[in-house]
Formats: sequence, C-alpha cells, structure tokens
Amino acid sequence: MHIPDGFLSPQTYLPAAALAVGAWAWAGRHLRSRLDETLIPRLALLTALAYGLGLVMLPLPGGTSGHALGVALLTLLFGLRLAFLAYSGVLLLQALLFGAGGLTALPVNALAMGLAGSATAILTFKLLRPLNESIAVLATAWVSVMVSGVLVALALGIQPLIAHQPDGTPLFFPFGLAITLPAVLLPHALIGIGEAALTLLVWRYAKSRKWIA
Amino acid sequence: MDRMKPRHVLYLYLAVLPAPTFVHDPALLALGLLIALALAGAERWRILKRSLLAILAFNLSVSLGVVLVGLWQGRIDTGWLLLANLRVLLMVYLGFWFVARVNLLAALQGWPTATLVATLALGQARAFERLIRDFRHAFASRSIVKPRLLDRRRHAGAQAVALLDKAQAQSTEVALAMRSRGSFDA
Repeated sequence: MHIPDGFLSPQTYLPAAALAVGAWAWAGRHLRSRLDETLIPRLALLTALAYGLGLVMLPLPGGTSGHALGVALLTLLFGLRLAFLAYSGVLLLQALLFGAGGLTALPVNALAMGLAGSATAILTFKLLRPLNESIAVLATAWVSVMVSGVLVALALGIQPLIAHQPDGTPLFFPFGLAITLPAVLLPHALIGIGEAALTLLVWRYAKSRKWIA
Repeated sequence: MDRMKPRHVLYLYLAVLPAPTFVHDPALLALGLLIALALAGAERWRILKRSLLAILAFNLSVSLGVVLVGLWQGRIDTGWLLLANLRVLLMVYLGFWFVARVNLLAALQGWPTATLVATLALGQARAFERLIRDFRHAFASRSIVKPRLLDRRRHAGAQAVALLDKAQAQSTEVALAMRSRGSFDA
C-alpha cells in the first residue's frame, strides 16, 4: 500500500516528516546496545522477508498498491521500536532501488505502516493472546494491515481537499475518501488474510527455533 | 557531480527532490525533466526506461481513473494528467539517477545504525534472491513434465523452511564476522 512520490502535497509530507524524524529518533535510542549477534541475524532475516513481501505488489485503482507488509511479524518478534525502524529501512530500500513508494512519501508510509501498524499489532496481540495464541497472531496481522490501510487511504483521500487550484482542480492525488477508502481497504481485507496465514507460519517457525518463549 | 562525495550527492538529492511538489506548471516540470536528462550523461535513457517501467502500473491506474471520471462528467482533465505524470516521472527519475551515481551504503557512512541496518537488509535480500533462484532452477531441472499444483505447493513449503534456515545461518555468520571486527563494541 505504498504511496508513491508525487501524489502527496507538501502540506502532508512536511508535517509527517517532522513527526517521523521524532519517531525514528525515539525508536533508535539505545538501539546498538540492544543489537547483538543473536538478534541481528533474525532481524535481518525477517526484515528481508518484509522487503520481499512488499515487492510483490498489485496496483490498485485508488492510486496505491496491494501487498503484504510483514509489520505484524516484525512487531511480534522484535517489539514496536525495532519493527518500526526495520520497516522504515525496508521502505527506504524499496523506494530507492525499485521506485516503490518514494522519499517524500516515506514519512507517511513509515508512520502508517511501520508505526501505526506495529502499535496496532502489539495492542491486538496483548488483547487476544489470553484467549488463543494462534487466533491472536492471525487477528494481529489482519488488523495491523487494515489499520495501516485506513491511514494510507486517509492520507491520499484528503489530498483533493487540502491541495487544489482556486477552481477546485486537485494538484496532487485526485480522488477523495469515498474512493480511496474502499479502493485500499477491500483488497487489503483479502491480502490481510494471506498475511495472517504467513505470519502464523513464521511465528510457529520462530517458536520451533526457540526465538520466542 | 562525479567528483562529489556520495554523502554530498545524497544531500543534493534530498534538497532537490521536494522541488517538483512545489511546481504546478507542466511546462516547468517538463523542463526539469529535460535538464535532468541532459545532466545524467550516457545512462539517461536506461534510467528513463527504468523510471517509466517503475511508475507505469500505478500512474496508469490513477490516470485511467481520472479519464473514466472525466468521460462520465464530460470533461477530461488533461492538465492534471500531464502535471501528475510529469511530476511523478521526474521524482522517480531523480531517485534512480541518484542510485545509479552513488553507492547507497557509502552515502549512509557517518550514520552507523542506518549503515548497519541497510547493510544487513541488503545483504539478506540478495541472499534471498540467490537462494530462491537456486531453488527454482533445482525444481525445474527435476521436473520433466509440468509440475502439478500439489507438487508446487510441496516444493514451496520445503523451500520456505529451507530458505529461512539457510538465510538465518548466513546472517549469523555475517553477525559473527561483524562481532569479530568490533562492530558491536560500544
């Protein structure tokens, strides 16, 4: 669900950049002391998996793309701060190496998918884990994808309202919320099911390798 | 630009990239694209082709949406189509030009954490690519007839587990090498 460069107005990406820089600084504090030769290979492995998942994308008529994220997976295994940083790195590499997303859109993409997706994952998992762990993992991945989708659709859908010419012609993304919300959320409701299944598989793999208690 | 340090090229790229979002005149954006093409040297057409391919699917889907809405309303907004497509093309072109000119890891030098994460993720992604290619070739060489869906599913499952184990082993080696070279020392 990357938003590409050129579809977001400066009124959107500049405040988002300020917010994202603060969030990156917060997430990066004491990072190096937490990274050791046990955690790094796992983080690199799953970051690369998220990178690969994000590249198998389908363009959606609403102006973004449909693809799995891997954010819930990163969050369940490494926590919010590392997941947010790792996913931001994934978005940066995808933008520079494949033109998927972009650097002006990076703060919005990182906040929507990396930070909000990760925070939602933690909340959902904490809430549902006491009931059933497997269902909690499935729900965590699906809800995380959908919340990220809502934020991406909102960021795109408000563009005609906040950046237009005097006659109302949009200067950036042309479609409003009535189009972006269903265009992003309906396909991602299905993609989220696939992501949930994949997250559960890798979660079980990680447990079998004793990465998690 | 060839004599500039990678980090300075990164700063220049970051400074120039937002400019097209402040320009709402298609003629000026076209001029910007022409200047970028002129400055890119011999690689210009390869970068342009790569940029066009990268934006094709997304821009086509949005542009078709605008055309359909325009047909329904009786007025197609060609100005917006030109503006949006030129802006996106110019921004993606600048990104690919930057990557073609500069080693990303060299540009990130000075930010140790960013370099560390980028090195590991890039290395791991390349390891994944190589492993998947090896698996695909091995599967193809063992399949005399077209594999059934069930065979493909079994192969994908085995490949996924082997991939994760192998990639984990490879990145453990990298991390140990980094440890022995003092990368984790405070």
